[in-house]
Amino acid sequence: MISSVFDLVLRALIVLAGTALATFALLWHAPGDPALSIALARFDTLVTDEVIEMVREEAGLNIGFWPAFRAWIGPLLWFDFGNSSVTGREVLPDLLVAVSYTFPLAFAGLAFGVAVALLLAFVATKRPGGWMDRVAVGVASLGAAIPAYWLGLLLILLFAVHLAWLPAMGARTPAHAILPALTLGLGVAASLTRIIRSSILEARAQPFLPAIRRRGVPSSAIGRDHVAPHAAVPVITLVGLEMAFLLEGAVMVEIIFGRPGLGTFLVTAIEARDFPQVQAVVVLTALLFVTINLVIDVIYRVIDPRIGGQDA
Amino acid sequence: MRSVLVLAGGVGLIVVFGPVFAPYEPTMINIPNRLSPPSGDYWLGTDALGRDILSRLLHGARWSLGLALLISLIGLCVGTVIGLAAALGGRLADWIVMRTTDTFLAFPDLVAAVVIAGLLGAGTWSLIFALTVTGWMRYARVARGIGLSLRTRGYVIQARLAGVSPWAIARWHYLPSLVPSLTVVWTGMFARAILGISALGFLGFGVQPPMPEWGTMLLDARLHMRSTPLQMIWPGLAVVISVLAINLAGDTLRDALAEKHTDR
Amino acid sequence: MLKVDHVSVKRGASVALKDVSFSLAAGKTLAVVGESGAGKSTLISAILGLLKPAQGSITWAGAPVRLCRPALVMQEPRSAFNPTLPLRHSVFEAVKARKLHVGDARLDRLCKGLELERDLLDRRPAAVSIGQAQRVGILRALIAAPSLVLFDEPLSALDAVTQKHTAKLIAQLQKEEGFAALIVTHDLGYAVAHADEIAVLKSGQIEEVSTPQDFAVAPKSAYCRVLRDAAIALGALEPAE
Repeated sequence: MISSVFDLVLRALIVLAGTALATFALLWHAPGDPALSIALARFDTLVTDEVIEMVREEAGLNIGFWPAFRAWIGPLLWFDFGNSSVTGREVLPDLLVAVSYTFPLAFAGLAFGVAVALLLAFVATKRPGGWMDRVAVGVASLGAAIPAYWLGLLLILLFAVHLAWLPAMGARTPAHAILPALTLGLGVAASLTRIIRSSILEARAQPFLPAIRRRGVPSSAIGRDHVAPHAAVPVITLVGLEMAFLLEGAVMVEIIFGRPGLGTFLVTAIEARDFPQVQAVVVLTALLFVTINLVIDVIYRVIDPRIGGQDA
Repeated sequence: MRSVLVLAGGVGLIVVFGPVFAPYEPTMINIPNRLSPPSGDYWLGTDALGRDILSRLLHGARWSLGLALLISLIGLCVGTVIGLAAALGGRLADWIVMRTTDTFLAFPDLVAAVVIAGLLGAGTWSLIFALTVTGWMRYARVARGIGLSLRTRGYVIQARLAGVSPWAIARWHYLPSLVPSLTVVWTGMFARAILGISALGFLGFGVQPPMPEWGTMLLDARLHMRSTPLQMIWPGLAVVISVLAINLAGDTLRDALAEKHTDR
Repeated sequence: MLKVDHVSVKRGASVALKDVSFSLAAGKTLAVVGESGAGKSTLISAILGLLKPAQGSITWAGAPVRLCRPALVMQEPRSAFNPTLPLRHSVFEAVKARKLHVGDARLDRLCKGLELERDLLDRRPAAVSIGQAQRVGILRALIAAPSLVLFDEPLSALDAVTQKHTAKLIAQLQKEEGFAALIVTHDLGYAVAHADEIAVLKSGQIEEVSTPQDFAVAPKSAYCRVLRDAAIALGALEPAE
């Protein structure tokens, strides 16, 4: 148990190191002169050759790949992401501000999505194969096919343009978060509904349930004690994995609704070729997902000792 | 399997013959008729430059569906080769491949694709590269898993003893068993590629204007949401219908395979 | 000559074979008998080179066994053939891979010796009986004229009548082809009837190696006596008087 957890941590560290190297290599070998792009982003059109050279030196672009990688990875271990090459400001505080917008949105979306998914799944499994089941599955299939950006635009069209009930652009008041969270949540709900539905059906099909029912245990107690826990295990892990979907969704949603956050931060940074900022977002994301996967793997092993014997 | 063939045939037909049915040139600018509502002349209306939306959608299928097909097939080949290499290549190869796969899987694909496509500079080639780099892992995992389970089968051991080359073993004993599962994975990745292409197009990192890719069209249409909301509906609808059709075909195939499995 | 020299094989932490030594001369038959879990399958894997021994060496004519291209007949005939391909493909795999030439006459002779119709080879494994599949498996093993053939419980999947018949066919073909046979089996009757020597394997160690006559009349160790008496009680072995 201990050694397999140690193994997992080691594996996570390797994955992190790999991601850091891949990101850095990608940035380093990206076409075009990064110094020129940075200079353009910083000084607009007043760019001369001297300015470009100055930027090159300042951004540490004039040394080789490995020295540059070492110079970057060293401070990174202490969460020092360096300074933005465009604004010159420290990256970390700006990144944290972005995170403080994205995380609440993501959690609101997740909460809404899980609630809708549970509701739909319960309705669907009341009578499997009945019309309500088909409608719920149909809605879920449709939801999985709708891209977040289109759904967001449709919601804006309906609630902000036609009905004028809710604000659409920006993030000034909590009301501004309703439509983005709705967009994100419906996407989550679509993918979760089918999984929750099938794990409820599977849990109900456990061979010992008829025996318990015949002994006279009321069905509400059976649902609580035998069906729900069995169905919960895969669902909990999947909610964890939904995080990847949430972040992707958040990137799109923030751009559609003009909200500040990690997505906007990333896209702006990419467009300005602000390498330290891009690196920071990538490393943070990798750290986040490696940690989530690690926690899920460990939970798996705690819940079910059968897992972990072989290399999955 | 038949549902997937029908699907592939349908996609092929739309991609090859769709533009034939387009009433206008997709890039023909006609400012006097800009932002016109659907009519007898322009069935779905025109966009901000007066281009016929129906024609653009039909031509756009080449980009949105054709590129997605291409990307998902490249991913299929790359992923299968990598997965089989892991399963057949010994412990070290397996370790390296699995840690690489973990690294790529540790990241939300779309975010990775945005970073890669954005940094390589917007354009079709970087789009293909970005979505391929982020789209091979599922194939590799499935191919490796099945490959590992086949390695101890009697007929594979016999082939090894007979001195059959690894290529011939992969060709005759591994690939046939991989086809059904990989086809299911492929339908999912095809749908993902369509969503990825249009998402990157919508962000401005994908296919560049004036090419009529569906996501790029949506990006244009967004500016005129208040005046002509319908213009925004069509490209999104095209994406949704395509993805829905592909997912349904994939589900049908998966159910059919599961049934076959339990029959035995 | 096959020489297994002080071989130990580890599987995980446990020892599957411990200091196993024996030899098998060209053209002769050695039966390895033992209970399930005694290490018979491990022994086969080690001889074929699928498992690396932790200690000791396994050679054929002084060179690694792999070089003499040993053939294997498996216990489960169906799973030894790719279900998606006609049997012909599997049978000729070794011939094609090594660019050998097998004349029609030889194929006919082998098929006749195994009582197989040649058309049978165009079917898939699921379309032939288990007995037929096993005989095709033997055909596959013999087609490239190997000097060493390993039989891993070749008769266990067959019914009693087919077992006797197949055993006879194997013995006849061995006379014609002259290969050395290492037969792993738990069927003492079969071992005594067809082998030149019998090696008894117990918990990964060789308990004794003796001729069938010696084994049937006077086993050296207590374990072998128990084994023999059990076989006699089950009717698998005639009491030697």
